[in-house]
Amino acid sequence: MASMNNIRTRIKLEDTEILHTTSTNFPGNYSGYDDRLNLDEFRQNLQVQITSLDDTTSEFDLIGIDAAIANAFRRILIAELPSMAIEKVHVTENSSVLPDDVLAHRLGLIPLRADPTLFIDKVAADTKEREDDTLIFKLKVACKKNPKAPTDGDDPKKLYINSNVYTEHMEWIPIGNQITKFKPEDIGPVFPDILIVKLRPGQEVDLKLVCHKGIGRDHAKFSPVCTGSYRLMPEIILKKPIYDEDAEHLQKCFTPGVIELEQDNDGHRRAVVSKPRLDMCSREALRYPAFKDSVELNKIRDHFIFSIESVGALRPDQLFIDSIKLLMSKCDRLLQEIDGNINN
Amino acid sequence: MNAPATFESFLLLDGEKKIIVEKDTKVPNAAVFTISKEDHTLANMLRAQLLKDPEVIFAGYKIPHPLEHKVILRVQTAGHEYSPINAMENAIKDLIFEMDMLEDRVKQAIANRQNAE
Repeated sequence: MASMNNIRTRIKLEDTEILHTTSTNFPGNYSGYDDRLNLDEFRQNLQVQITSLDDTTSEFDLIGIDAAIANAFRRILIAELPSMAIEKVHVTENSSVLPDDVLAHRLGLIPLRADPTLFIDKVAADTKEREDDTLIFKLKVACKKNPKAPTDGDDPKKLYINSNVYTEHMEWIPIGNQITKFKPEDIGPVFPDILIVKLRPGQEVDLKLVCHKGIGRDHAKFSPVCTGSYRLMPEIILKKPIYDEDAEHLQKCFTPGVIELEQDNDGHRRAVVSKPRLDMCSREALRYPAFKDSVELNKIRDHFIFSIESVGALRPDQLFIDSIKLLMSKCDRLLQEIDGNINN
Repeated sequence: MNAPATFESFLLLDGEKKIIVEKDTKVPNAAVFTISKEDHTLANMLRAQLLKDPEVIFAGYKIPHPLEHKVILRVQTAGHEYSPINAMENAIKDLIFEMDMLEDRVKQAIANRQNAE
C-alpha cells in the first residue's frame, strides 16, 4: 500500500527513466481510495508560501493543486495577461544603418511602464488615436560632431553627440486627458538605458511610436512576464546511512547545499539531506552502484515552486492575482454560455 | 504574406458561438463540446476536473488543428439522470470555487509577508 501511495503522490526519478509522471488520482482508478473531488479536503491541503517577493521577481510555493491548474496559470501569465507595447512606428526620418523594419521590431520589444488596466483594447478597424487605448511617444535624435572632443581619442561617445540612442530619448506625448490622468513618472520605458540604435554624424531618426494594449498570444512583446515557470519540489531519501568518503562523494553528486555532512557520536561524518529545494534534479547519484540502492530521488506531485519575473509594468504578485481572476472570468463565461445553450 | 491574422486566436468572429454542445449518438449519455478560441489552458483543466467526478466515465479533449483555434471536449457520464452538461456545469462551478479559495490564500500570504517586513 505504501508503494501505491508513492505512485499517487510522487514522481520517481530512476537512472534511465522517470516513472509515474501523470496524475492518476481519479475516482475508480485505485481501490481503497476515494478520489472524488472533496472541497473541504482541498481547503485543508491548499497552501501558499511566498519565499521571495520584490518589485520584479517572486518565488512562491503552491501546495495541493493539480498540475492542470498550475499549468493554466503559467500559460495565462505568459500568453493571456495584457500589457502595453509599441505596435506602430511612423517613420519620418531614419538614416541610421538599421532598416526601418528592424528598428521598428527593436522598438516593439521595449518594456513599457504603463498600467494596462487603465487602457482598453484597440478596435482593429479604428485608426484614430484615442486617449483610452493609445500611448504616443516621440523619438527624434540627430547625431553631430562634438566640437569640444579631445583630438587624440577614438571613443565615439566623446567624439560625437548622441552617438547612441537610448530609451531615455523617448518622449511621451500625452493625448486628451492623459496629461491629467497620468504623472510623467507613470508612463515611459521601464529602463532608461536600453540601446535602440547607434548613429554617426549626419544620421538621424525621427519617429512617432504608437503603443496599444495586447496579449502575449498576439505577440511576445505584449507578455507581461520575462519568465513565468514552475518546477516540482524535489525529495531526496537516503535509505541507508552513508559515511565519510562516500558521503563526500554523494555531496558532490548534488547541487551545492543539498547534502550536508554531519558529525555523529562515533566520529564519522554522515550525509544528511539539508535543502532538497535547491536540487536541480540531476540523476548523477544514481550512476554509481554504491548509491543505487541507498538513494531515492522523487518529486512531489502537488508541490509547485512557481517563479515569476515581471518585465516591470506590474508587480509579480499583482500579475498572479490577475491570472487567477482571468481564469475565473474564463470559467464564468463558459458557465453562462452553457446555460444559454440549454435554454435555446 | 498569407499568414492568418494573429487576433484570430482570441477574438470570436462575427456569428461564431463560444460553445456548441452536440449529443454523441454512438454511445449513451455522451456529448461533444466545441469551445471556440480556447486552448490547453482551459481544456486540460476542465478535463482534469471532470475526471474527478465519479459519475463521469470519460472526459478527453483535442485541438484538431493548430490553425483552428478551438478545442473539442468529449464527456460521457454514467447515468441518465446526470447529463454531460450537468457534469460540465459542476466541474466549472468547482473550479471557480477552487480559484476563489486560492485567490484568498494568495492575498493572505502577500498581506502576511508585507506585515512581516
